[in-house]
Amino acid sequence: MTEITKQRNIKAALSIATTALLGTSVTTTTSVQAKEVDEWQFETAYLLYSEVDRVTAGEVIIAGTKTFENDEILNLKLTIDALTGASANGAVAQPKAQTFTRPSGNGQYITPAGDTPLDDTFKDTRLQLNGQWTQPLEDNITTSIGGHLSKEYDYLSLGINGNLAYDFNKKNSTISMGLSYFLDTFTPEGGIPKAFSSMLVGDSNSPEWNDEFAKTRVGDSENKSTTDILVGFTQVISRRMITAFNYSYSTVDGYLTDPFKVVSVLNSGGFAEDYIYENRPDSRVKQSTFMQAKYHFDESLLNIVADVSYRYMWDDWGINSHTIDSRFTIPVGQTSYFQPHIRYYQQSAADFFKPFVINNQSLGNFVSADYRIGEMTAITVGGKYGLLLNSRNELSFRLEYYHQMPTYAGFSLPAALDGLDIAPNVDAIIAQISYSF
Amino acid sequence: MQKKRAIKVSKQKDGFAISFYAMASACEVLIQTSDEQLAKQIGQCVSNEVWRIEDKYSRYDFQSTCSLINASNGQPVKIDEETYLLLNFAEQCYQLSEGLFDISSGVLRKLWTFDGENAECKYFPCQEEISEILNFVGWDKVIYDRYSVLLPKNMQLDFGGIGKEYAVDRSILLAKQFTDKPLLINLGGDLAVTGPRENNQAWQVAIEAPYSDKAGHTQDMIVAIKQGALATSGDARRFLIKAGTRYGHILNAKSGWPIVNAPRSITAAAPQCIQAGILATLALLQGENAEKFLIEQEITHWARR
Repeated sequence: MTEITKQRNIKAALSIATTALLGTSVTTTTSVQAKEVDEWQFETAYLLYSEVDRVTAGEVIIAGTKTFENDEILNLKLTIDALTGASANGAVAQPKAQTFTRPSGNGQYITPAGDTPLDDTFKDTRLQLNGQWTQPLEDNITTSIGGHLSKEYDYLSLGINGNLAYDFNKKNSTISMGLSYFLDTFTPEGGIPKAFSSMLVGDSNSPEWNDEFAKTRVGDSENKSTTDILVGFTQVISRRMITAFNYSYSTVDGYLTDPFKVVSVLNSGGFAEDYIYENRPDSRVKQSTFMQAKYHFDESLLNIVADVSYRYMWDDWGINSHTIDSRFTIPVGQTSYFQPHIRYYQQSAADFFKPFVINNQSLGNFVSADYRIGEMTAITVGGKYGLLLNSRNELSFRLEYYHQMPTYAGFSLPAALDGLDIAPNVDAIIAQISYSF
Repeated sequence: MQKKRAIKVSKQKDGFAISFYAMASACEVLIQTSDEQLAKQIGQCVSNEVWRIEDKYSRYDFQSTCSLINASNGQPVKIDEETYLLLNFAEQCYQLSEGLFDISSGVLRKLWTFDGENAECKYFPCQEEISEILNFVGWDKVIYDRYSVLLPKNMQLDFGGIGKEYAVDRSILLAKQFTDKPLLINLGGDLAVTGPRENNQAWQVAIEAPYSDKAGHTQDMIVAIKQGALATSGDARRFLIKAGTRYGHILNAKSGWPIVNAPRSITAAAPQCIQAGILATLALLQGENAEKFLIEQEITHWARR
């Protein structure tokens, strides 16, 4: 197949030829504004998240965008994910095997000596629907409203949001404000456990079992509501650089405890005597600041686009976290790109986080041994390769490795836990294939 | 040849539509005005210009400049400035495409019949026949200057690949001299606008799908255009099938063979219609690399395979 010499800018040469033919000036022959309307643009993705020995999640995303005559945009997104595998139940590893009751109360599972207790009954399918309508109000004001629905076997989340963006300074600056409200209902199988009550362990077939199990329960379902406020500022610095700053304030009220998590109660020697259901405060106020810079380097640096951001989050549970995220988009030829990604995350523990409690210690009002609110560092490294098939079809592949290192600094370990890995690392692989058309 | 030439003016929601028939296509001028007299005047003036260009460059009209050149039997023919400029433009396209686009390649059509749709090709030329015809193809053999053109014996010129788009651009320039009301000129799918409609609104244009889907519906594509032009190249109804391979009706002027694996149609956007048309045709000439070419040249386009 013959190919027209790539280096040559045919468009420019043709525009000069046209100018000569029509006797028009070059300035009047340089602009064209045309785009397709009334046409859906779709994005599909399949994502696989797999933790070593733990949870595996498969996710399918189908998103459609339609642009209307006056630049109104309708965005619909359907996400379905299926989760299977094992999840840490909060109890600490022991030098001997441990027996736990499943959250439903039906049956038990045994964790071998030295292993972190994992509840392997996790199996859930989640269906998520998001809809967003964006429309310009005036030339420099854009507004957007949206709705959210997410349904799992034991969870329902409903949400609404509204946003307003104002452009000024020749559209080089944008101030935006967003407000969202979510209402979640949790109906876990086996009901809501009573805070600090002991996990019932024994023969689940015995006639008294059901009555005894019911004593550890306080109801069937719980709710929580979340209100988020976001204020953002975007500034174009130059033709090559853009920066963004955000502040968000989020308040959550209601049931914030994880009904599937327990805390090991150890004797002074370090041996587990009991497992009690965790308890968290019924409100949380989270704040975060975010700053981001994108820079488009010139040819001397291969036209790379660098995207670096930093987020600082703090809340009234005593958790604060730092996230540094960076992506570099490196063009490969004319129609493909490679995008390395590095993310660093570091978080401090919640005030009430304890990897275990010793039986003579006072519990305080709240306690949780969930490693996700403990001190940790996590790193994600990976890359994405994208291929532009034509002006609207893109195929991309993403592969990332996630490494999480919980660190329980400041907790002295009783003798029985010596030599046990009570804060095991979590490793995961994230693979994604996306196609937009 | 008796030609039925008339324009039809019809009132629309926020203006007038003037329709007429030219260059084997349905043509339309849309103008956003409440002044019917003005609409009529513009319609008259645009259609006259399109018919003028048709008469001058049609190879079917024996009185046309094109026919005079084609019948010159190797003798120089006097040309006017407009023809000179068009030949110059054709020369640029020939150079830019490294010979793939050639207005002297029309004679190859004697060998190739693209009757499309269903049938397996009845007559498929052999390489000898093609090579023989190729002796009479080649823009580089044409000698021209500001005042005359010399076309070697047995060669033919065909302005079909640029005529309609040229007429769109000429008509836009002409209409702009009469009015600054927003208007759109559409000559059988090749179109241009003078600018956005009132209140910076875009024009909505349906681009006809080159083929129908399984259910028999043609899926028109709607494009919003505020500035510039659109041109479509390719025609799904014109192709031939031989031994399972689909040959599109675009011919490679260098090899004499039809292009294979090209999209069925390409719509390109450009500031002027003639540019859009050439870009769409040059892209089709790239065959399976058509989309790649358009992306590399950063051209807004829609390709349908």
